[in-house]
Amino acid sequence: MSDIKTCVSLYSLQDEYLNKRMSLSDIMHYVKDCGAQGVEILPDQMIKGAPEASPETISAWNALIRETGLTPVIADVFLNTNLYKNRTLTHRECIGLLAKEIAEAHEMGIHLIRLVSMVPYWVLEPLMPVCEKYDVALAIEVHAAMAFDVQATREFLDEVKRLDSRYAGVVIDTGIFCRRFPRVVRAYETQNGTSPEVFDYIDTLFEAGTDLHAVLRKNDYKYPNELQTACRTEHDRMFVPLCDGYENLPFSVMDEYMPYIRHFHLKMFEMTPEGPEYSMDYKGLLEYLDAKNFHGYVSTEYEGNRFTLPGHPMQEKQQVAMQQAYLRKCLQEKHGA
Amino acid sequence: MFDNNVFIKDSCRNVEENGRTTGYELQTLITYYRGIPLSMLEYVKISADGTEEDPENIQVSLDRIDWFTLKEAETVTDYKWEYGDPMYIRVMKDGGLPAGKHRVRLTVATRTAYIPVPLEGIRERDVVIS
Repeated sequence: MSDIKTCVSLYSLQDEYLNKRMSLSDIMHYVKDCGAQGVEILPDQMIKGAPEASPETISAWNALIRETGLTPVIADVFLNTNLYKNRTLTHRECIGLLAKEIAEAHEMGIHLIRLVSMVPYWVLEPLMPVCEKYDVALAIEVHAAMAFDVQATREFLDEVKRLDSRYAGVVIDTGIFCRRFPRVVRAYETQNGTSPEVFDYIDTLFEAGTDLHAVLRKNDYKYPNELQTACRTEHDRMFVPLCDGYENLPFSVMDEYMPYIRHFHLKMFEMTPEGPEYSMDYKGLLEYLDAKNFHGYVSTEYEGNRFTLPGHPMQEKQQVAMQQAYLRKCLQEKHGA
Repeated sequence: MFDNNVFIKDSCRNVEENGRTTGYELQTLITYYRGIPLSMLEYVKISADGTEEDPENIQVSLDRIDWFTLKEAETVTDYKWEYGDPMYIRVMKDGGLPAGKHRVRLTVATRTAYIPVPLEGIRERDVVIS
């Protein structure tokens, strides 16, 4: 039987934090009040000094965990390979940086790290002893536009399979399962000057069961005639590549990776008033995961915040609460709880 | 995408040192969604009333104690520009901005490992120097 638990990535509430409407403590309590069981954090977003935070900062985090009762599920980690302007970090520098992240996750009570897409596969094997020492697993993010067809991701996935360790896994971002292009993105980018015809064309691709990423890739990154026609301005032509981060893959693409999938980012652009997310079928995904006997967390990752129209209020808190309520309803229906 | 993070409102003022106006200062939040070492600041550009400031006269600080030129900042990895905390920017310029109203434009860009172009934010504000 599956064991699917809910979580919120604090990425979802970043504007509240940035503009000091909510402190980390406020956010943690809000996540708890929304009914989530776990929490996901980007240490270098909300933990001062990460990945070498002071003992006081780590203690404050652990106190928040005790206060709220939230499970600290996962840390989202980046690798600053371009820390310096004039060179890329060496292999040993990269591994050293990630070792610090692993040790810090351990101090924060976290047993899973999501490595952002495009982290090179060769970090994994040398870090396995560090993962074992601290009981922290590393999982590569599979994100739209950087998913299964991209070489760096494929190399990492192959390495995960080769190592076949409980400390090496995969995190899926559900932006690869968009069934419609997000209308909040369309609205935001249209007011920034992109022609509606570009989005009309992209909509036809989704209606046909595909997406812009797949079409451009198949077409050797040349714009098909219909897209050429849809692009009315130079701005349109420059903007099109930014629209490929929404893929329309079937859930079955995960079949062979299920043994390695540790966690999900439930990407969210817009929860609609009637319940479902505008672009993604969470209910269908949860049914798939239930059938696959998934054990782990599905984590709210609200990204509609960056497409808030000028003059409109930020909807982070409302959207997180709506998604959590919807997930709970879906899970309760499934299990009759 | 990060324009809203740039140029904190009411942060522009002249800098007085030892009774002399040595330049003007403004503040910005980060053009990214996480904190990064200062070395990952890609560039800062400022124009006042349509005139671009000389990048060599621009200095940055995360604590108003240690200041770095943009060139020096390229190697500063011990100071992290935290998400949610301001970076202080000053233009070293005798007399600063003259009293009155000015149109100041600030451009800030950070460098990230996974996005091939710098993440830029731009904001122009009308500022009043008293």
